[in-house]
Amino acid sequence: MRRRVVPYFLLGPGAAWLLLFFVVPLYYLAELSLNGGVFGSYEFDWHWANYSDALSLYDTQFIRSFVYAGLATLFALLLAYPLAYTIAFKAGRWRNLFLFAVVAPFFTTYLIRTLAWETILSDQSPVVSVLDTLGLAPEGHVLATGGAVIAGLTYNFLPFMVLPIYASLERIDVRLIEAGKDLYASASQTFFRVTLPLSAPGVVAGTLLTFIPASGDYVNAQFLGSASNQMIGNVIQSLYLKQSDYPAAAALSFVLMAAILILVLIYIRFAGSESLMGEEAV
Amino acid sequence: MVSEKHPRRITALLAVAVAAVALAFGLAACGGGGDSGINGGGETEEVKLEKKATGDITISNWPLYIDKQTVPDFEKETGLSVKYIEDVNANEEFFAKMDPLLKQGESGGRSLFVVTDWMANKMHELGYLQNFDKSALPNFEKNLVANLKEPSYDPKREFSAPWQSGMTGIIVRKDLAPDVKSICDLFDPKYKGKVEMLNELRDTVPLVMKCLGIDPEGASEGDWMKAIDKIKEATESGQIRRFTGNDYGADLTSGNAVAVIGWSGDAVQLQADNPNIEWRMPTEGCILWSDNMVIPVGAPNPTAAEEWINYVYEPKNEAQIEAYVNYVSPVENVKPILLKEEPEVAKNQLIFPSKSFTKNCTIQPSPTGEEEQNLNRAFNAVVNG
Repeated sequence: MRRRVVPYFLLGPGAAWLLLFFVVPLYYLAELSLNGGVFGSYEFDWHWANYSDALSLYDTQFIRSFVYAGLATLFALLLAYPLAYTIAFKAGRWRNLFLFAVVAPFFTTYLIRTLAWETILSDQSPVVSVLDTLGLAPEGHVLATGGAVIAGLTYNFLPFMVLPIYASLERIDVRLIEAGKDLYASASQTFFRVTLPLSAPGVVAGTLLTFIPASGDYVNAQFLGSASNQMIGNVIQSLYLKQSDYPAAAALSFVLMAAILILVLIYIRFAGSESLMGEEAV
Repeated sequence: MVSEKHPRRITALLAVAVAAVALAFGLAACGGGGDSGINGGGETEEVKLEKKATGDITISNWPLYIDKQTVPDFEKETGLSVKYIEDVNANEEFFAKMDPLLKQGESGGRSLFVVTDWMANKMHELGYLQNFDKSALPNFEKNLVANLKEPSYDPKREFSAPWQSGMTGIIVRKDLAPDVKSICDLFDPKYKGKVEMLNELRDTVPLVMKCLGIDPEGASEGDWMKAIDKIKEATESGQIRRFTGNDYGADLTSGNAVAVIGWSGDAVQLQADNPNIEWRMPTEGCILWSDNMVIPVGAPNPTAAEEWINYVYEPKNEAQIEAYVNYVSPVENVKPILLKEEPEVAKNQLIFPSKSFTKNCTIQPSPTGEEEQNLNRAFNAVVNG
């Protein structure tokens, strides 16, 4: 009797939490997304047009969001992997300090850090004049461009990429790498056949933790982008809080959720295949 | 014994957990279904006054919209205790927050809050506001400035009392954009990427209409769309850098923007910090608007709320607020007081504009219903291009 009850008991609080704060709001969101009418007199009437409108009116912002989030994820990965590798294998007694440095930006809020970028990249700043001389600022300014938004996203989500990769690298049994060397594999062969496959779970976790929140982000686009760089999060925010068009905002949120879910499932389907999960190396 | 007791306790705990979830569901369901409690537009209830205002009241207003001394002075004079909160940042946002409460006939403890003309109108139409009992508002009756006495949405001033008024026009950096004098100048390619506009449908679009030679008063949906198209073109060409709320101030200060559409009171404050920033009356004229004190349905202690309205409509009290706030006073006879105490404020055209200064200005127009929804969609599609 007792054995059978305990697991449910342990699940209880978590399940109740999810039910209350995820399932219930989701239900109301779904209902709201099917409301028709105008502001002040919205009524539930299976108004499916909200969904087709959401897709046809905001397809540009959808595509842009996924492109920006995808690029930011890629850049974050390129920056994070060498960093995590260095911390895991080469940092020695500095390891904890480096880890602290990765996490340190979290002591300031996300919003303030983005606003700091606004100052760093403002038109009269030395950074921008250097970029301008190098021909990297074709419009004469860096703020209010897509590049600035992608850079902001990359920066803001970098720790989410570094930490999981570090965690999986750090767990690798060094003897496996030594074995690779013993078997006359070159350094790069060892890396690509042993280290990289073994750290794949960290890479998958890191890319998901970066890509998913980045696709729904609106802060970076709002402060670092122009009117032509707004992402789907900005559209939802504006629909809800500026236009009071709650049904359209709800419908768009659902479409975003579904789109991310599909993209992630496809990704996991490929990334989750055995070779990448390290089966071959083990 | 023990082995029997524990499962029973666990079952009991589980039952409590299930009951809690069920209760939460029930509450949520109540929250969703509510169209009870209020009466639709038309028959607005009137405030029921008590003989004397006592107790405490909560007032919601916009940030930086009052000096530090007025609330304590009011408390001392009336013996009331005031909770003054600055939680109105944008009309639409505030509405989104209050709507579920007001729908139930509740105001979240607020006795009075401040919203812009069009939002006051909308809330009134939804039956969310109470009419004033004017017998407790002699100062309001006597001292409201003449040109605000009969707005089209509340011709007898039954439910809205202006807190401050203001003008929407151009704010420039004198040193970087000396020759921007009209709304049309904002489209000059010389300032490509250095121009910003407000993300407010009712401020930005009517001003651009004026540049196109369209009178915003009584403009058709097609007229609005013409102006939105012009803004869209300028956004796509990179002429307009971005659309802002009052964060345009930071961009003007840093020089990221050299000419923006902005609000008069902001300009007075920005100019105090940076003498190169200047408000300019567009040659086409400006947009005039007011933020209004309203008493919502379910407001606790409405008697005290009316006491507050009456208090700020006393010229000497309003003068104290005006010297700090820098928007346009809706109260008569404030200028002579300030001429003595703060002559610079009294002589500022942005705070006490003369008739000739605002001669081309238009009262902020506000589309409603389906037209509003279409225009909102079109405008925000440009803002979030």
